[in-house]
Amino acid sequence: MATLEELTRLVSEHEAAFALALAEVDAAPATARAAAIEALTVGWTGRKSGRLTDLMGHLPSLPAADRRAFGQLVNALKSRVEQALTERALAAAATKRPAGAVDVTLPGRAPALGHRHPLSLVREEVQAIFTRLGYQVLEGPEIEDDWHNFEALNMPDEHPARDMQDTLYLAEPLPPSLQPPTAATTTRPGRRPAAPQPLTLLRTHTSAMQIRHMEQHDPPVRLVAIGPVYRRDNLDLTHTPMFHQCEGLVVGHGITLAHLKGTLLAMAEALFGAGTPVRFRPSFFPYTEPSAEVDVGCIRCGGVGCPVCKHTGWLEILGSGMVHPAVFEAVGYDPATVTGFAFGMGIERVAMLKWDVGDIRLFYENDLRFLGQFSK
Amino acid sequence: MKILYSWLRDFVDVPDGPAELGRRMSLRGLALEGLEPAPPGDAPPGVAAVADDAVLDFDVTANRPDCLSVVGIAREVAAVYGLPLRLPGVDATGHLRSARLSAVASDGFTVRIDAPDLCPRYVGAAAEVRVGPSPGWVQRRLAALGVRPITNVVDITNYVLLELGQPMHAFDHARLADQAIVVRRAAAGERITTLDGKSRALTADMLVIADAARATGVGGVMGGADSEVREATTRIVFESAWFKPQSVRATARQLGLRTEASTRFERGADPTAQARAMARACALLEIIGAGTAAGTLVDAEPRPHQPRTLPLTHAHVEGLLGMPVPTLEVERLLEWLGFAVRPAAPLAWQVTVPGWRPDVARPEDLIEEVGRHHGFEHLPATFPPVFQAPAASDARIPRDARVRRAMLAAGFSEAITFAFIEETAAAPFAAGAPALRLANPLSETFAVMRPSLLPGLVTAVGHNRRHEQRDVQLFEIATAFAAAGERRMLAAAWTGAAAGDHWSGHRRDVDFFDLSGVVETVCTMFGVTPSFAPVETAWLVAGRAARIAADGDAIGTVGLLAPAVADAHGLPRGDVVFVAELDLDRLTALAPRAAARVEVLPRFPSAVRDVSLLVPDSLSAVTVRDTMRAAAPPTLVSVREFDRYQGQGTPPGTVSVSLRCTFRAADRTLTDEEVATAMQRMVAAATGTLGAQQR
Repeated sequence: MATLEELTRLVSEHEAAFALALAEVDAAPATARAAAIEALTVGWTGRKSGRLTDLMGHLPSLPAADRRAFGQLVNALKSRVEQALTERALAAAATKRPAGAVDVTLPGRAPALGHRHPLSLVREEVQAIFTRLGYQVLEGPEIEDDWHNFEALNMPDEHPARDMQDTLYLAEPLPPSLQPPTAATTTRPGRRPAAPQPLTLLRTHTSAMQIRHMEQHDPPVRLVAIGPVYRRDNLDLTHTPMFHQCEGLVVGHGITLAHLKGTLLAMAEALFGAGTPVRFRPSFFPYTEPSAEVDVGCIRCGGVGCPVCKHTGWLEILGSGMVHPAVFEAVGYDPATVTGFAFGMGIERVAMLKWDVGDIRLFYENDLRFLGQFSK
Repeated sequence: MKILYSWLRDFVDVPDGPAELGRRMSLRGLALEGLEPAPPGDAPPGVAAVADDAVLDFDVTANRPDCLSVVGIAREVAAVYGLPLRLPGVDATGHLRSARLSAVASDGFTVRIDAPDLCPRYVGAAAEVRVGPSPGWVQRRLAALGVRPITNVVDITNYVLLELGQPMHAFDHARLADQAIVVRRAAAGERITTLDGKSRALTADMLVIADAARATGVGGVMGGADSEVREATTRIVFESAWFKPQSVRATARQLGLRTEASTRFERGADPTAQARAMARACALLEIIGAGTAAGTLVDAEPRPHQPRTLPLTHAHVEGLLGMPVPTLEVERLLEWLGFAVRPAAPLAWQVTVPGWRPDVARPEDLIEEVGRHHGFEHLPATFPPVFQAPAASDARIPRDARVRRAMLAAGFSEAITFAFIEETAAAPFAAGAPALRLANPLSETFAVMRPSLLPGLVTAVGHNRRHEQRDVQLFEIATAFAAAGERRMLAAAWTGAAAGDHWSGHRRDVDFFDLSGVVETVCTMFGVTPSFAPVETAWLVAGRAARIAADGDAIGTVGLLAPAVADAHGLPRGDVVFVAELDLDRLTALAPRAAARVEVLPRFPSAVRDVSLLVPDSLSAVTVRDTMRAAAPPTLVSVREFDRYQGQGTPPGTVSVSLRCTFRAADRTLTDEEVATAMQRMVAAATGTLGAQQR
């Protein structure tokens, strides 16, 4: 326990010491004065280790009744010190300013760069990952026919799996000639319809591109297809009637489920960072057999369990599997000689997890306060 | 599918608690979607209550109708843990006991199937009943799985549906005309009032369960109200049948009626389960004291189920999975799931598929079973071999990326908007032809496919203007739709400051030339020189609107957004918004094909001369420029306006234009005289033909 008397003496000693230091600075040559003032300022008023800060540190050692008086003493000294230092800093600055000097602290004329859309950033990142792995990147038509979107993907009419994706249809179909020629020009056998079909729907997944590509090219295949897809989903926190997908397809001799797992784990780590927990889990899709989904550890809770991950600790990011033999038969590939894997991932989903976006609708409002946070 | 943990334990002695069970099942194809404490209440008589009972909600995939039941999930659990599965036995005692089928005596009703293609099997049994509430443990189990308890008889049908996955129905025996059950297609114009009290029109492709007079139920979907079991009912007929999935699916969809029963029939119920389920229902009647089965069980099966047998080789298993699985493990896993595995050759089998697995139709389906229960976690993470150099990507991808970079550098932020818009919003942009309409849009807001990106982009500008943004620059690269096909467009919108506020000077608002300049920059990236001509469109202000062309082909528009359009998209009144749209596909087609070759740098200096002309202000700049260029020698490199002034010193109707002309020759330094002569000729052309005056 210190007494007020002792500490008042301490304040006086500090004041005397500062006067001495100030006199030294005034005596310094003009060229060195600015640096000396700077050093003195840091030494006395520095927030972490300035002498005045240290002085104030004695406060708790006083009886509660004396604290106020001591605080006032120190603060009075502090304002005297600061005033003396500011006066000298201004004087020093005035003497050393060269002719034609500008105030370098004024804002510059910064060229205003636009901001990237987060979906576009994810899309580019995915493209980069797969380009590195030797895939070609494709786009495709957004208005599709039933064959490419459903039938060839082992979802014939009346198949229960069609319920999984509620489809948006055109009021009046468009002639098939509007899309790149496929069925009519392919010489391979296959289960395809005799004549190209009219375009009737908005593609519900980028998987339609698998069929278009395989119809026109012999194996091996190694591609990703990216773009918007459409489903009759009402707008809510996690659904929009338009969203973006990335589709992958690899076909060749001896392609296995283990190849799929390796590829997807590598992608998940590239997207979400090395060491992200990832699991590969059985699932079902009509166009793959076996099928699998990939989960990453919940970004929000770190795997402990929270409402975002429905208390499971995991968040699903994509569906995948080994291409179903019926799909190969549809495009005229021989399932006895080639196998393949395919996967489909929602770009919005990845962006939501990556940046903790709680409402998918933010991606479509294009609010500059939102977009302004993405500038890569 | 919700499952009660304690109900599951009737059939398999799970060593793990609910949470750990859910985690393990998730890795085997039954993803746990939710886990909640079970409602409190009684356990079945003779069964110890489970302390931390819970309701597990599993995401059952569309191919697994068998897992829409407690026993189906129990079978998977037994396989995962390698434990025996105890099915509700027909002879066992306790609450799991089923009636001894041979003990069921005399019937009192008939079954006739007129449509065996839609209903190949129909099992019926009559029972004397005392209708009342079910005991607490039955009510608790139903409620835990989301089914409302009604009366003991109805509860039994639901209990069997949830436990075994076989939908059942109970008719009031007294209300069946002639005590007959006829399974037939509906007659044209026939109607039925279903259990939910609604009168429904039936069509001739729908299957009904009828008595001698009228329809008493829609097969596999819902029973009829007339024959409903009531409190006064004393005798019932239980139905346990198999209906064709496609038929139930089509009927349920047409009627807009989805039930627990239709969901299971649509996906494919077990065609071998009908008698088992009936036995279980009759046993439950006795167990809960609701009645006694009376008479013989009727099993009409005009088309018996033929089990499917599939070939499987060990090489196929390991080749598709990419991991080793011992042959004994293949056999053990399949048998545990109920498949009959018979060796056919060394390392090859014939596998018979149980009735409850309609999804298993190919060897690949069997391999999935093996892979999933052996565990995907044992799969090594390997990479597919590269067989050949990858082909080039779609050329639009790098092209769009270049345009995106240019727009970002010009200060525009990237927008993504919906491809469908309101019909009225599309109308001004639809260029004569109506926009593509959707047959089943979500709402009028999303009724037509956008003929232009501008309506969506302008809406986004409006959103920002209403949210404290004074200066907005947005662009989008996306698809526009027309009856003629899909086109990749670049759209841009700009409102507010052209140059941001800065302490050194004044803020300037955006004008036409800010945006037409951006258009010029983008075109130049493609090696295309755009030309601008006045245009009238429905969405731009006349006089401040231009059609952009290159080599005579229209490639887009730029100009001031019409106030009516701005207003319709929610922009504050008086906002000045400039918009532009470019057809990137057409721009690409116009881009020079030849490989670029570097031009030799000029060896001789260029000569620059400025000239100021007073010209009628009705003349467009391009006319003055072109007239002068036409009169110039080939040494003219460029002529470009560098100043333009109208006001004090210019007579009314005229404008002062200053042009900078640059001359250069490849083989010599130009002399002053040469350049002076050229300038004279060019000025003479302007003064002579255009009525200009040199200042």
